[in-house]
Formats: sequence, C-alpha cells, structure tokens
Amino acid sequence: MSVLKSNCPSCGGPIEFQKGSTIVVVCPYCRSAVSRTDRGLEDLGKVAEIVDSQSPLKIGLKGEFKGHRFELTGRAQNRHELGGVWDEWYATFGNGWVGWLAEAQGKFYLTFYQPLPEGTALPAFESLEIGQQLPEIPNKTTLMVTEKGTATAVAAEGEIPYRLEPNERSNYADLSGKDNAFGTIDYSMNEPWVFIGQQVSLEDIGLASARPVTREAARVSAQGLGCPKCGAPLSLTAPDKTERVTCPFCNSLLDVNQGKLTWLKALTPPQSPPDFSLQIGMDGVFSGVTFRVIGAVVRSVLIDSITYFWHEYLLYNPTIGFRWLVHSDNHWNFVETVNPAEVDATQPYGFGATVSYNGGTFKIFQDAEARVEYVQGEFYWRVEQGERVRAVDYVAAPLMLSQERTANEVNWSVGVYQTNAEIEKAFNLSDLPKPWSVAPNQPFTGGFYIKWGLGFLAALFLIAVVMTVLGGFDKTPLNETVTLPPAASATTPQAAFSQQFELKGNRNVRISAQAPVSNSWADLDVDLVNDQNNEVESVNIPIEYYSGTDSDGSWTEGSQSQDATLSSLPAGKYTLRVEGTWQNFSQPMPVAVKVEQNVSRGVNFCCALVVLAILPLLGIIRKFSFESRRWSESMFGSVSTGSDDDDE
Amino acid sequence: MMKTLFVIFGCCVLLTYATASWFGWELANSGKNSRLGAPFFYGGFRGGK
Repeated sequence: MSVLKSNCPSCGGPIEFQKGSTIVVVCPYCRSAVSRTDRGLEDLGKVAEIVDSQSPLKIGLKGEFKGHRFELTGRAQNRHELGGVWDEWYATFGNGWVGWLAEAQGKFYLTFYQPLPEGTALPAFESLEIGQQLPEIPNKTTLMVTEKGTATAVAAEGEIPYRLEPNERSNYADLSGKDNAFGTIDYSMNEPWVFIGQQVSLEDIGLASARPVTREAARVSAQGLGCPKCGAPLSLTAPDKTERVTCPFCNSLLDVNQGKLTWLKALTPPQSPPDFSLQIGMDGVFSGVTFRVIGAVVRSVLIDSITYFWHEYLLYNPTIGFRWLVHSDNHWNFVETVNPAEVDATQPYGFGATVSYNGGTFKIFQDAEARVEYVQGEFYWRVEQGERVRAVDYVAAPLMLSQERTANEVNWSVGVYQTNAEIEKAFNLSDLPKPWSVAPNQPFTGGFYIKWGLGFLAALFLIAVVMTVLGGFDKTPLNETVTLPPAASATTPQAAFSQQFELKGNRNVRISAQAPVSNSWADLDVDLVNDQNNEVESVNIPIEYYSGTDSDGSWTEGSQSQDATLSSLPAGKYTLRVEGTWQNFSQPMPVAVKVEQNVSRGVNFCCALVVLAILPLLGIIRKFSFESRRWSESMFGSVSTGSDDDDE
Repeated sequence: MMKTLFVIFGCCVLLTYATASWFGWELANSGKNSRLGAPFFYGGFRGGK
C-alpha cells in the first residue's frame, strides 16, 4: 500500500496513511480508529485518549537498530487485566520492517514478527503454563513463558500496522530467554502470531537523547487529586503508572483509572498499627539514584502455625522505574526484578534445591504463601488486602533470589542485603532498630579474617619450606666425649674442655650432653667459649635418670641425655667447657657432648603458627555458628559454609 | 581499622619468622632450660652476623 491522504469517515478531518505498512490511523481530531481496506476507509470506532505517561518516547522520534533507521509512527496503550497499562510503539523501518517497541515499567522490548516453520504448532493459550519452555519457537535461546494474560486495547494514536479494534480483548503470552531475549505470542488470530526480539535500552536503539528532556520534565509532574471518600488531597508520584492508592486520612483503598480515583473499599485495619520505618514520600539514594518511597505493604507468611510479618516499600524513580526495599526482622534488602529466563534450576525442587543466576548458585531457603496484610501509598498493580502469591526464596549471601508465582505470572527478583548503616545513609536517618537473628542472605562479615588468616598460614608454610631449603641441612661441628675427673663432694664442680671447633654465623646452635647416670643425676653447666675474644655463652643442662619397679610394673623417669638450643653466635672458633657436679662424685663422669648447627626445632614455626591461626580459627567457628543460626530459620535447613563472605 | 591492624599484625609475624629463620634466632629454648626461668622462653639471643 502507498501513502494515502483522505478524510476521517467520522468527523471529516484530514487523515494521512504515511507508511505503507499502516493499516489503521487514529484520527487526531475525533480519535476514531480509521482502517484502510480494499473497499475504502472503515471507521472502527473511537479509542480513548492516550493516558499521559512519563514515557521518553513520542511519535516522530527517529532511531536506529542494528544499522537500520526507523521512525516511531504509532502508539497503542493496552490495559492489563490485573491493572496497569503499557505502551506499544510501532517502529517503521526504512527497509520496510515494522518493529513493536513495548514499554513497561521503564523497560523497553523491541520485537519483530517471526514466521514459524511450516507445521509448527504452538500450545493453545489455555494449555500454556507459566514457566513452560517453547523450543518450537526458533530463537538463539529457548524461550520460556513468563506471563499469560488478556490485554485490552484502550487507546492509540498515530499509525498502527494492524487492525486495531477499540476495546478489543486479546490473549497473549510473554516469553523470556537468556541474553535479554523477549517474545510475545499474540493469540488474537486463529493462528497465533509470534513476535521475537529482545529487551533494549534507549541507547541500543539510538534514542538515548530522548531520555533526559522528557524524563526531567516528568519528574515534577506529580498529580494532585482528591479522595472520593473524604475529599482529602492526595498526590500521586507516578500518576501514569499507579493503579491503586490508599487514602491515609480515611484508610480507603482507591482505584486509579486514567487519572480518576474511585473508592473501592475501606482497608481492614491491622491487628496492631504497622510501624513503618520509612514513610511515604521519603527519598533515598541507592547507587547514586534517588528513589522515592511511594508505597508500603505489610506481608506475612504462615509457617508451622506461626505468622511472620515483614514490610515492603515500593520505591520509584521516573527514569529507572520501580524497586523494592524489604524490611524483615530489621534486616533490609534492596530488590529489583530479573529476567526469569536467566534463572536456571540446577538442582530439582526439594531439600537442597538450587538455582543459578548471573554466575551464582542460590540454595533454596523458604517456600511459603505470602499474603498482603495491609497497604499504604500508591502501587502500579491492583493490590488487594489478602492477595496471595507463592513465594520461594533462594539465597547466596548477600543476594536473595525470590520467585513469586501466581496462576498467570511468574516473577523473579533479586535482593541485595543492606546494612542498617547503608539504609540510614540512603535515607539520611539515624537509629534504625537493630536487626536480630541472622537474615537468610545476610553476609558473614568475618570472612576477611578467615581468608587473610589462611593466607598468612599458607605464607608461613611457604616461608618455612623456602628457609629450610636455603639454610641447608644441619651440621655437627663437634661430637666428643669429655671426662670429668672425680670430685671431692657432690657440690664441688669439676671441669673439662673439648677440642676446638668452628661455628658458622646465622645458624642456631644445639648442645647435647649425654651422661651414664642411673638412678642419679648430673648437673652440667656448658660454656661455649669464643677463642677469639673469650666471650662465653652458657647453658645449663641438667641430666637425671631414675628407673625401678613397683606394683604397676617398671618405670623410668628422666633421661640420660639432654640438650639446649641457642640463637646463632658470631662465626669463629670455639671451645666447649663442661663443668658439672654429679651424684656419684667419687667416680669420673664421661660426658658425650655434641654441638650441632642449623637444627630444625620447629619452635619458631609452631609459635608463628599458633599466633596466626587464632583469628582464622575463631572466624571459622564464628562462621559455622552464623550459618547454623541462618539455616535454623529455613524450611530447608542445613548448615552451609559456602563462599558467601562479605568484606563489610 | 581492625582489618588493617590484622593485616599489619600478620605481616609482622611472618616477617619476624622469616628473619629469625634467616639469622638463626631461636625464640624459645626447651622447658626448664630457660635462662629466664620462665618456661619455654630463652633469652640467649646475641644477634646475627
């Protein structure tokens, strides 16, 4: 088809089908969807006005994808059956391609129609299951069903490349694959159509410059509204994305529809007033990005007849989108959604089940039904008190991977543990209540001491080996027997000298003495005399040896040989002077003396080993205790000492 | 701060051990032979080269 200028069959205003692929043009004057057919123009009915959103995109923007230039020529807004609208922009390429650029919660997905191979049969919409793999759809990575639902075309503008029927409802399934692959199955036709593409950033499609101007202007466009119940003024931070808001004055839950508030119900007051640590409207800075707290939820799980409560805060930044802060047992987690296809089950569900994500392995921690107990603020989905999802948590400190599953949707999110100090700094707060127990993904902060301590021990062994090799083997400069002559009494010492021998420097010295004592003693003072300067180094070597028998049998005590070890002495020639007293003084005392150098005693090594091992040993004990406390809270409890240390 | 002190302490221990090994220094002597009268430790160090 070619460019066609005509008049709107509804209002007569001029309309133009500029692009050859355009099937429907929305009349800019009366908002009629006008379709061109072989028989002429057809009025399909009026579409609603586009809900004012903070999208950085607009019709007429030109971009480039993989070297091909395109222009945004149309836009449709679809309503999710559970609430919320998303934008679909139509990118008309210069080469004739038509791309669908979907925008939801600050993320962009560019997809193209993908004809299926002959004979390919896709599962029927009704039989499609969340999490189901669809290998029959040709793609680099297998696509998985992450959401199925029914969309209603509520608004449109510009040129649309398909027959858009106002308020037409159509079933769809969203698919995700690794490496940001994304797809949609459109079940509105008899034969479902498949659209394949990927998640893209504005930079990827040459629209990076679209971001700052539009977003900056939108940031201050909070919309003032009044509560339909009590008339109190309400302010929406994300008016184009908010589906539900609560009135803090009359405690009502309100529906938000195209900027209008409708009273839904009075919120059931909680058993005790929720003590939210963060208040709606507070700003917090995470990784340099300022988020505003726009919603707060009290959720609970029932485990073994005990209800556990925690708080979740919805954060919003116009550029980034939504994030969550989870506050449980005074532990904090900063949470964002992840592509479900990036999560792989590495061990089947059950005790010890694991999943992998982004190179990490996460171990199952809890599987329970989470319930919404109370809400406050505004939300991008139709939140309800009592809303339930199945929540499965997997941990690899400091991260927690959580799966939330309903009949129609599965979402994965990753939470990063935050210390109180980090939250206090982010929100400029002080004195947040201290956490108790150990959080599922709380990192063990003593890992530094274990790692470095073990490193020091390894270095100690290395040094010991190197020094042993460098020092060489032990040498024996003297091995001689000297005889002490008989003495006048047991207290009168006698002395004898050895031969001269040579000691080398920088080597320790061990002096061994052996005396043939039996049930007696000999007390030897051994002097190492430096023959150059007559300096003397003395050691005392007492020898005693006793033996006998008693009712328990034979026994011995002491030894006929003893030794003493000295630090290195200056190199030179030495003589050993042995002076001693002994019990059998009337008999000569032959003493075998031996001088050795470079003796491996191991005392220095053992001392260093003990000193260096204390902290890592304490750290390992503490880590074991820490993990025990962590997993004692788990439904799949087992102590794991995996590598989940944190460097504080 | 504690981490820095721990690293400095560990390095000092290793350095002391390596130095003692190189120069033949003995930190301790055997039991009752201690010259200081205290178990284990020996005060006979006279220096290196």
